[in-house]
Amino acid sequence: MALLSADHADWRPMGGGTALMLMMKAGVLRPQGLVSLRGIGGTSRRITLQADGALHIGAQVTLSELEHSADVRRAAPAIVRAMRRLSNVRVRNVATVGGNLAHGDPHMDLPPLLSALEAHVVASSQRGERRVAVDALISGYYETALAKDELITELVVPSQRQRSSAYLKVTTRSADDWPALGIAASLRVEGGAVQSCRLFIGAATDHPIRLTDAEQLLTDRKPDAALLARAGDAAADAANFIGDAQGSAAYKKQLLRVYLGRAVTAAMDNTADGDPR
Amino acid sequence: MSDGQLTPDQVGQSVRRVESRDKVTGRADYIHNLRLPGMLHAKIFRSRVAHGKIVRIDTSMARDFPGVHSVITGEDVLRLIPSPYFGPAFHDQPVLAIGKVHFIGEPVAVVLATDPHVAEEAAGMIDAEYEELPAVFDEIEAMTSRAIVHDELRPAGTFPDLKHLKGRKNTNVALDFKLRRGDVVKGFAEADHVFEHRFTIQPVMHTPLEPMISLGEPDGDGLIIHSATQMPSFVRIEIARLLGWNEGRVRVKSSLLGGGFGAKVYIKLEALAAALALLARRPVRVALTMEEQFYTITNHAATMRIKSGVMRDGRIHARSCEIWWNGGAYADIGPRITQKSGFTAAGPYSIEHVHIDSYAIYTNLPPAGAMRGFGIPQLVWGYESHTDLIARELGLDPLAFRQLNALKEGQEHATGTPMRDAAIDLVLEELGRRMTWGASFDRGQGTVRRGRGIAIGIKACISPSTSFAMVNVSADGSATLYFNTVDMGQGSDTAMSQIAAQTLRIPMDKIKVVRADTAVTPYDMGTLGSRSTFHMGHAMHLAAQDARSKIDAMAQELGLPVRETPIDALFRKKFGMSAGNVVGVGHYTAPYVPVDPETGLSPDITPNWMVGATGVEVEVDTETGHLKVLRLVSVADAGKAINPGIVATQLSGAAIMSLGGALLEHMQYTEGELTNGSLAYYKIPAMHDIPEAMEGGIVESAQATGPFGAKGVGESASFGVAPAIANALEHALGIRITTLPLTPEVIYRALREAEGRALAEE
Repeated sequence: MALLSADHADWRPMGGGTALMLMMKAGVLRPQGLVSLRGIGGTSRRITLQADGALHIGAQVTLSELEHSADVRRAAPAIVRAMRRLSNVRVRNVATVGGNLAHGDPHMDLPPLLSALEAHVVASSQRGERRVAVDALISGYYETALAKDELITELVVPSQRQRSSAYLKVTTRSADDWPALGIAASLRVEGGAVQSCRLFIGAATDHPIRLTDAEQLLTDRKPDAALLARAGDAAADAANFIGDAQGSAAYKKQLLRVYLGRAVTAAMDNTADGDPR
Repeated sequence: MSDGQLTPDQVGQSVRRVESRDKVTGRADYIHNLRLPGMLHAKIFRSRVAHGKIVRIDTSMARDFPGVHSVITGEDVLRLIPSPYFGPAFHDQPVLAIGKVHFIGEPVAVVLATDPHVAEEAAGMIDAEYEELPAVFDEIEAMTSRAIVHDELRPAGTFPDLKHLKGRKNTNVALDFKLRRGDVVKGFAEADHVFEHRFTIQPVMHTPLEPMISLGEPDGDGLIIHSATQMPSFVRIEIARLLGWNEGRVRVKSSLLGGGFGAKVYIKLEALAAALALLARRPVRVALTMEEQFYTITNHAATMRIKSGVMRDGRIHARSCEIWWNGGAYADIGPRITQKSGFTAAGPYSIEHVHIDSYAIYTNLPPAGAMRGFGIPQLVWGYESHTDLIARELGLDPLAFRQLNALKEGQEHATGTPMRDAAIDLVLEELGRRMTWGASFDRGQGTVRRGRGIAIGIKACISPSTSFAMVNVSADGSATLYFNTVDMGQGSDTAMSQIAAQTLRIPMDKIKVVRADTAVTPYDMGTLGSRSTFHMGHAMHLAAQDARSKIDAMAQELGLPVRETPIDALFRKKFGMSAGNVVGVGHYTAPYVPVDPETGLSPDITPNWMVGATGVEVEVDTETGHLKVLRLVSVADAGKAINPGIVATQLSGAAIMSLGGALLEHMQYTEGELTNGSLAYYKIPAMHDIPEAMEGGIVESAQATGPFGAKGVGESASFGVAPAIANALEHALGIRITTLPLTPEVIYRALREAEGRALAEE
């Protein structure tokens, strides 16, 4: 922690390095020093499923450890299902949960999903620890709520017992590409009606956003095709899309119109991996 | 097994690849792994300007950076090589930029250091000032643009048909090939229907997983070049020419390649590695990153206009084609693509009147060159999309329409060369059978629609060209093969071993292949254009026959039973102990008659025709435009499959590679600047993108002139993938797309436009 204090303003922490190394190779980031987090052991490398159903995931846990954890599969299967097409196996073997969330790239798959699951991270510094909800963590394009000297040390996913969830990654080139749209839905459903829902998107906007208009439309209703279409339209009209190599803003808007309903349906199903390809 | 026993046929068996164990256990040698004592690493400083005069290159900061050995510019190269321009068709490409830069990414200077990271850091400190010149990027605009890429054309002289271009000024046209058969104007007038369409195809990159690499190593009064090249013999000749040396002073060693696909033909980094090593008087390693490959060679983007006159009964009576090939800043082998693929632009069809104009064009983009298919996929994209459009318009079945017009055995191709052993009809028949074309097809409903499509293309094997091979039989009856075909994954080491084993009548495990090394292995034109099985296969067959007949003569001379006596017994008897060698040599040059420059015609334009067809079944999500290839069938005429297992992987490999260009890949430029030049942003197909159902069909219709009846198949499955998908898309949705790649957004936009409610631009 001391290495990341004000004395070393240009030093950056490095988890798996999968994003950091690309940025350094491209010359867009030139830190004076790198602080490897590899040596940090103990709880930062562990996944614990608590009695109350909450998952505590150390920040140094790799994405493939997450993918293959029986506890994660039991407590939050949507995370495991999202892993299959999150980048590729070589990246998943070294990329860490903490690094993934702290990166702030809008194309990441985990932030919208973990936001929908109401997860939070523990951010630590020499000044102490604080909780940051994942849906408040990423504040802009490559911007996060973390201070320069703060590290994510833990991810906490609360009990999902009442919920069913899904994350759909929509790519427009190869299956392992960055998404043109990532959409996560987490629902509490009783008797076919949505009691509550949390809907988030990534990749189509400059940072992950919550689709509150669509959430309101769906709450206390039984979703049918017409309602889902209305919710999709509401979501698409509310968001501010950005075009990039994965698709123009107009096309991403269309994707959201369509995929909002698909994500809600997949979440109610709670088994589908939502692979659109 | 004793040598005297009858060895079962090796040719035609799917024997295991000879190099596969080394590859999967990590023992295989690649140039990339080579480290030489005292070696310097080179890092290239590249132009940020698309077209400009070099005013000043400031290398002082880089030179002073601790650990830097030296900084080299074009001026330094000029001191070593008075005319440092290379290229197979035009001597237009400088080792390092001289006077001008012609594209963004062009090598301008090089930093040498013992530490590659130091070299990279220092290369970032070089500063160059340019006086910018007007630039042109589009192949059609370049035809009439005032921006002229090269002040003067400099044909290499090796190709007689380029001589008329020498010294030509104020043009971006590097070659204007024409073919005239019959009277196309009359043909269109006589036709009942005339159709005209225009197609474009995007630039893509070969993406070999082993990036380009060459090392120069001074060696006495000579030079060794270690290079991941598909063309060791050409590299030797061209480097010797640049240096003004005799060929013997240049030794070129290649190895197994981590993929080539045409990216590693002719000169890529070899001239630079040679110059740097001679200037530094030390071994120099020039290794590109994956990102730098995008600035080194691409395939050709192209525009094609095609017009056909068709009779009431569906016969194609007349066809004219115009093709503009975007060659980038240096011609590389583009003029050859323009001609040798250009003459097949009318397709595998019997057409009375044909008119082709094919233009190699300079632009201010990275140079374009050979890529798997050598221009054929671009042409097939045009003519097979066009074929389906005509069939649909006339209400004809796409397969039956192709079969009606297909060139038959003995008929004259548009060039005037009679078709021999080109199984176009058999390939179409096999494709139809595998696709169950006659059966009904579920077109889907609602937002999920399905369609199927086919396409077929032909390619002429490169000619003239020559291969030499040597077979050295040792006294114990084992044999070593010396030849310059480079195994870059296509399985040539295995195929040549099979041919030699069968001909020598010894088992495969007694055969060893020597890696290409021009000080040891004899001349070969190059590993390209699917020519090796045919040409080197012939040479190897002849060399092994030569060795075998010498062995048989030895038996005769010793009074021992010919053929039945084990080889080791012959040597022991002749030399009194296990000693000596029998060396067999063989070479092959295919017959060829050059084209008439006025008409583009020739009675013998190619030693063999490759025939490849593709059929696909696709499913499209009409709400998003997502297209999924459910089934992909490739059928190729292999003549005779030397190794059917390897042929099958060549077909699937070519098909998957072509799926990338059809659906995903696109080098995107903004004012000549590549915006997606890395694998994070330029996506090629990975495991999840491969269709679940893929099959390869091998048609064995013996090539009478081929070794064991064989011909090459490395490219055949690349010809028709993109048009087959576009044809299936039209079958599914009734929309026709004439550009590539067929991304979901492109498809969705076309759908919306067809519905009269176009999607907003942004």
